[in-house]
Amino acid sequence: MSKQLVTDSVCQDPFQLSTSLLKKVLMTALSRGGDFADLFLEYRTSLSVLMEEDLIKETDETLTLGLGIRVIKGDRTGYAYSNDLSQEKLLEAARSAAAIALAGRAHPPDFQFRPLRIKNQAGRVKKLATASPLQGKLRLVKRAYQSALNFDPAVKKVQVAYGESTQQVWILNSEGLSVKDCRPMIRLTVHSLAEKRGHWESGYYGGGGRVGLEFFKSSLTPEAIAKESAREACLLLEAVDPPAGQWPVILSPGHSGVLVHEAVGHLLEADFIRKKTSIFYDRLGQKVASGQITIYDDPTIPGFRGSYNIDDEGTLPEKTLLVEAGILKEFLQDKLSARLMGQKANGHGRREDFTNWPLPRMSNTYIAPGAYPAEEIVQSVKKGFYVSHLSGGQVEDSGQFTFSVTLGFLVENGRLTRPVKQATLIGTNLDILQKVEMVGSDLDFGLQTATCGKEGQSVPVNDGCPTMKVAGLIIGGKS
Amino acid sequence: MKVRSKKNNDLRLLADELVETGLKKGADEIEVTIYDGRQFEVGVRLGQIETLVEADSKYCSIRVFKEKRKASFSTSDLSRPALYSLVEKAIKRAGLTQPDQLAGLPERPHYKVDELSLKLSDPALAELKPEQKINLALETEKIGLADRRITNSFGASFLTNELKTILVSSNGFNGEYGETYASLSLGLQAGQGDQLVEDYWFSSARHLKDLASPREVANEAVSRTVRQLNSRKVKTQTVPVIFEPLMTSWLLAFLFQCVSGQAVYQKASFLADRLGDRVGDKALRVIDDGLLPGKLGSKPFDAEGVPAQTTPVIDSGSLKNFLCDTYAGRKLGLASTGNADENGIGPNNFYLQPGSVSPEQIISSTRKGLLLTRTIGHGLNPVTGDISRGAFGLWIEDGQIAFPVSGITVSGNLGEILNSIEMTGSDLNFYSQFSGPTIKVAEMTVAGL
Repeated sequence: MSKQLVTDSVCQDPFQLSTSLLKKVLMTALSRGGDFADLFLEYRTSLSVLMEEDLIKETDETLTLGLGIRVIKGDRTGYAYSNDLSQEKLLEAARSAAAIALAGRAHPPDFQFRPLRIKNQAGRVKKLATASPLQGKLRLVKRAYQSALNFDPAVKKVQVAYGESTQQVWILNSEGLSVKDCRPMIRLTVHSLAEKRGHWESGYYGGGGRVGLEFFKSSLTPEAIAKESAREACLLLEAVDPPAGQWPVILSPGHSGVLVHEAVGHLLEADFIRKKTSIFYDRLGQKVASGQITIYDDPTIPGFRGSYNIDDEGTLPEKTLLVEAGILKEFLQDKLSARLMGQKANGHGRREDFTNWPLPRMSNTYIAPGAYPAEEIVQSVKKGFYVSHLSGGQVEDSGQFTFSVTLGFLVENGRLTRPVKQATLIGTNLDILQKVEMVGSDLDFGLQTATCGKEGQSVPVNDGCPTMKVAGLIIGGKS
Repeated sequence: MKVRSKKNNDLRLLADELVETGLKKGADEIEVTIYDGRQFEVGVRLGQIETLVEADSKYCSIRVFKEKRKASFSTSDLSRPALYSLVEKAIKRAGLTQPDQLAGLPERPHYKVDELSLKLSDPALAELKPEQKINLALETEKIGLADRRITNSFGASFLTNELKTILVSSNGFNGEYGETYASLSLGLQAGQGDQLVEDYWFSSARHLKDLASPREVANEAVSRTVRQLNSRKVKTQTVPVIFEPLMTSWLLAFLFQCVSGQAVYQKASFLADRLGDRVGDKALRVIDDGLLPGKLGSKPFDAEGVPAQTTPVIDSGSLKNFLCDTYAGRKLGLASTGNADENGIGPNNFYLQPGSVSPEQIISSTRKGLLLTRTIGHGLNPVTGDISRGAFGLWIEDGQIAFPVSGITVSGNLGEILNSIEMTGSDLNFYSQFSGPTIKVAEMTVAGL
């Protein structure tokens, strides 16, 4: 089903640089004795559209062009970047990055580039957004806007944002790698505000991914996105404050995937492992979770927001089995950590743009489906809390995490009853992983709009999980 | 030095040229901003340099208006063909959006703020050698690691930025200013196994002489980290909560979100209909000030060329002003407060007026309560003012710090908090664009066991 995405006319070479110059830049980067050097050339065009107060208020375009140069010596990284691609500037940047090696002078070994051709699997695009006229996108935005307003008279304000980008990268390194990729992305999000008797609540929903505009025709229409957003805002008008204290918690499929991202994924990123700051650093091969838990990180799922054909160091990505039946199997590796740890890079080196060096990151992270039907899980709880929508989470290397629940429900005698607003879940990851009592068969994924931040760098991600029951979690609330 | 000033002159000419080009190609109004930055950053960990970054970068960002319709772009490709084509495309795109009678540039300002009086630049920073910068980071981490209770390091970093901002508009405004920034920070870990704790400390300033020493940064990072060791959980209860200055800053950042003109006209703030109302105790005073010499949020003019000013936001407990750019101001029938930034509306120096008691006096006044030291997570809702965050802190019993707590959440409502600040400390430091002293809030819900 995955289509050859981009015609050559759209992804022409935007860099206009010769391989002989780039080789010279790499040799200069290694001229002070570095072990390894790579270049990350980026050309990205983005467009965003904003509608509020019945008006298409603004369209904004961003063009990002530049080169990042990295030099590695042992576990040290030198980095320089430039938005000016003239020979003089590139060589100057290479000399800046080279300084990390600290040696006086070196004669790096010669190498030849071996261009790597890659197959597109990440993008699922028939109609590339960047190449389509603006009018059609404005129509999508207006449709979403109108249907959110029409959902219920309580919906008073709506904000719709459309965003698209196409990122072209060319990655070259001193091992002779030369590889190019073209990465499309779109997203449509709707923010609804509902009011009743002077009380306001908000709802949010969105969709997209590495897909073409046809996605909004077939997979998820602007109307469906709008409706979910408005529905959440209206439900919250009726919602009660969360119960404070420790309760059995049921996590909804898809939306609760942020939990696996925060509670497990970050602490399996290899930089935290080799620096021994993650609590998982010495747990490889050990049981770290309930036997019902199996976790993957898979950058190869077609059309997903977190997917890519090559990572930002030019490594082919792999579907990585992180935890199998509760046993810790593998870490998320980039080249630097893999080399220092004597393990294999598995295609998880990612960066926000050319001004940043790559770090081990997640892509699409999920808990594999288990044995229980979702209804059976809900029915098993007499009194508890059902997490429906989460707005995000945060974790520390110690494993301490929090999740912000925007919409939840009380569970009473095996049924969802009253909607609950704004709660915070808190715990430590080892604790929650042990306490997962039931894993459902209904794997689903979260909104294709998520962004993950680490050390100031944002990258698109997705996560997923089936319905799950956790024995007891602390819920922060007012009552 | 000569080469550099010529370069800036070139950028100024480029900005003039782009304004002219935009008008020629059919824009009614156009505003051109060019940023020219230089960054240096060193990261060290366990006594070794880990990362070294050095870069020059420029980018240009432009807004055009045509028949009351707006379009914008930004680019790091400053070649003329790229810029010209982006200007043309923006004017075309503006034609496809809908007219908005309030859209447009501000009036040409009647006065200018003297850039030099703001002391935004420190030439001493530009003269600092890479080895000196590396040594500052190394020394900071070394002092931190010398404490036996510290078991691991997230590393120390020292960074400097030099930035030039050039702004030219078709309304006749043209201006430019330079600024410098330096920051020294250290992150540490203590404890073992399932009992790991972490924290960090930093100092950031425009002038090298205002930056804390490696010893000060390291000592603070150590004490903030180790004070969390052997933490306990507490039962769910409602208690007074004392905010450390950094936590007050965090609360102020949330307040800023709620008084930003954009959130107000969108009704996305619980304070939207409260202008002129009493929203807090009579002593409560919150100010946004772009004119404080040497402070991180000061600047001579905002992203639209509106001169910086001092804006009382809450005065004697009354909500006095919303913070606006030109557009939000027009929507609300108010004047711009000089708060336009690249992404909409941003703070200058947004701070809470300090009181007269010391943080120690605030703690000793508390029979039972939580001294909030850190929060994690999201959990802020400007529409309702609701707050719910994962929290770390120190438990207070009989006016003294009894033990550290973690694995808890704090929740409350900003509207209620503003009305229940019982004590305000004297310890105001301008650590960031949001700053406030220690405060004591009458009660919040702490959820635990």
